[in-house]
Amino acid sequence: MDYLYDGSFDGLLTCIYHHYYREAATGIYPQSFYQPNLLSPSMVVETDPALADRVYRAIEEKISARALETVYHVYISSAPDKENLILGYIGLGFKMGAKVDHYHSHPAVYPVHRLERKVIGEAHRLLGLLRFADMGGFLYAVMAPDHNVLPLLGDHFAERLAGERWIIHDKKRSLAIIYNGRDSSSCKSPVRSRWYITDFSYNLEDNMPESERRWQRLWQTYFQKVSIESRYNPRLQSRCVPHRYRRYLVEFQIPAPGHDSETEDSRKRFPRTPSIPPHSG
Amino acid sequence: MDILAKLGILANAAKYDVSCASSGVSRKNQGGIGNSKSFGICHTWTSDGRCISLLKILLSNDCIYDCRYCVNRRSNDIPRASFTPRELAELTIQFYRRNYIEGLFLSTAVERSPDYTMEKMITVLRLLREDYEFNGYIHAKVIPGADPLLVYSAGLLADRMSVNIEQPTEESLRLLAPQKSLPKMFASMQQLKEEIQAHKEARRRFRHAPRFVPAGQSTQMIIGATPDSDLTILRTTQTLYQKFGLKRVYYSAYVPVNQDSHLPALTASPPLLREHRLYQSDWLMRFYHFKAEELVDPQHPNLETDIDPKMAWALRHPEFFPVEVNRASYEELLRVPGIGPKSARRIISQRRVAAVSVDQLKKLGVVFKRAQYFVTCKGVCPAKKTLDPAAIRRIVAPESPITQLSLF
Repeated sequence: MDYLYDGSFDGLLTCIYHHYYREAATGIYPQSFYQPNLLSPSMVVETDPALADRVYRAIEEKISARALETVYHVYISSAPDKENLILGYIGLGFKMGAKVDHYHSHPAVYPVHRLERKVIGEAHRLLGLLRFADMGGFLYAVMAPDHNVLPLLGDHFAERLAGERWIIHDKKRSLAIIYNGRDSSSCKSPVRSRWYITDFSYNLEDNMPESERRWQRLWQTYFQKVSIESRYNPRLQSRCVPHRYRRYLVEFQIPAPGHDSETEDSRKRFPRTPSIPPHSG
Repeated sequence: MDILAKLGILANAAKYDVSCASSGVSRKNQGGIGNSKSFGICHTWTSDGRCISLLKILLSNDCIYDCRYCVNRRSNDIPRASFTPRELAELTIQFYRRNYIEGLFLSTAVERSPDYTMEKMITVLRLLREDYEFNGYIHAKVIPGADPLLVYSAGLLADRMSVNIEQPTEESLRLLAPQKSLPKMFASMQQLKEEIQAHKEARRRFRHAPRFVPAGQSTQMIIGATPDSDLTILRTTQTLYQKFGLKRVYYSAYVPVNQDSHLPALTASPPLLREHRLYQSDWLMRFYHFKAEELVDPQHPNLETDIDPKMAWALRHPEFFPVEVNRASYEELLRVPGIGPKSARRIISQRRVAAVSVDQLKKLGVVFKRAQYFVTCKGVCPAKKTLDPAAIRRIVAPESPITQLSLF
């Protein structure tokens, strides 16, 4: 039996509950992307927070709190078969307990750990690569990450920019974190309760006030000036800042004569000895 | 002069400082702006591939010294600029709240006198920490020759401080920076070390005792401006770690900026590979329990360039290998080329539940290409046949790059 869920974390956990108490699942898939096939019947599972909570606590108590985090991190990834990876990982976890995380190279554990590393890695990367713009009264940042890392960014910026009001917009998924600043009532409340994620489809990028350009110009100047010309190494730079992130980075939006001609110029000025491509011939 | 022009000049003048770490300290946001994370965060990477974590900038490039290797030396005819403390603090905060940076790396040329300069730096730090209630990361340079009391008050505000010794020996330093002296710099380092220890001790007893340079001190050496060998450099490095408890020693491949008879020609390209090998050795000393004497010795005073220092050590010590992955201690695993702290920890953690076999090595993060000649798994050697060091060397570092033969 294939179980279909609504895409929420609770929905996924409900499916896992039914996997153990109703009928073993052949697979779990999000309802919206499911392609029915003749060989395995499917069933839409209605999300039940009470059942989800039981699975949630079972993972925490019977496996470990760390394993619960792992499951959540894999859930927010965009791997197409993440639900089944989670199913396999939890299955082994209920057998082995906390020791499951020692078994790094097990086929049910290795892909889960690897995926988790990617998700955490991207979240960490974005802690640095996110760029806020002062829109006059609030800060606004746009991103389009590979994985749905928004929930992992909230606490960090809520603590760091506690006195500001800000929005982090995930353009790819039309979601955003809204943080409304420090007020007297929320000062003592835990950091997690001060921000929330909501659907968000406004495009605020074009409304940037002119005064913001001045700070962006300063940053772009700084960015260009601290580079040492005789160490020019764009391959290293590409490894550290992959091109897909550059669209939303102020320092890579160098105004006319255009970013591309700019790099070509520098290539002419600092020729490098050509390296042999790995698969020449 | 407007801020944009000043920023251009003073960022350009600061770029040869290597350190950009923002790690090693946790600071909470206490009602103002900013915090610091112990893992450190890089914010972007410039076209030379170096990361920007901190706003690395000089307060002024108007220097009274005439160090031969330095762009800002007094006798150079370059545009000079100075920030006012308020300008720089405002710039830092504005960059910080846009998440461009993790904090400030404040350095400066010596303006008028060391004491005057240090006082001006303290003004900036005080503005940030007290007026703006800024809790982001601050790295402040110790001005050589500044009064110890001034260094002390800067240390109460900064997270990390550094004294750049620039050269590994007194002779090299005298040649290139005649106004600086190694003993004086060591005195500053010693002072920092003692204060750091004393404040740590005090915090163990009193929770609210002030912190002093909580992320520790670091230093920097220029590589390739003088004929010092890697042996000299690594020995000095080791001494610095042991004697002064430094957190980091940075190496900076010398980029010729001045024409001088004591220095390599302006056309010389920076010794980037040598710098890379030194950093590898530095990592081996800090995370892999290697000693400087194991990596270089008087017979081989320089590191090999075509293979990394750990591989070089392994090839000189065939008696140590092969290492049985399922039995070796953590320290022994760390000696194997291709196994690092992470993969060694994974191996040890997996051994508790299941033995490690050859085909699992890659999944545990081991670089199989290098490790295969040096390990056994359950007694099985992954390499097809056991090789002697010379044969391994031919495989990992071929004499000349393999080229496609022409058909004609």
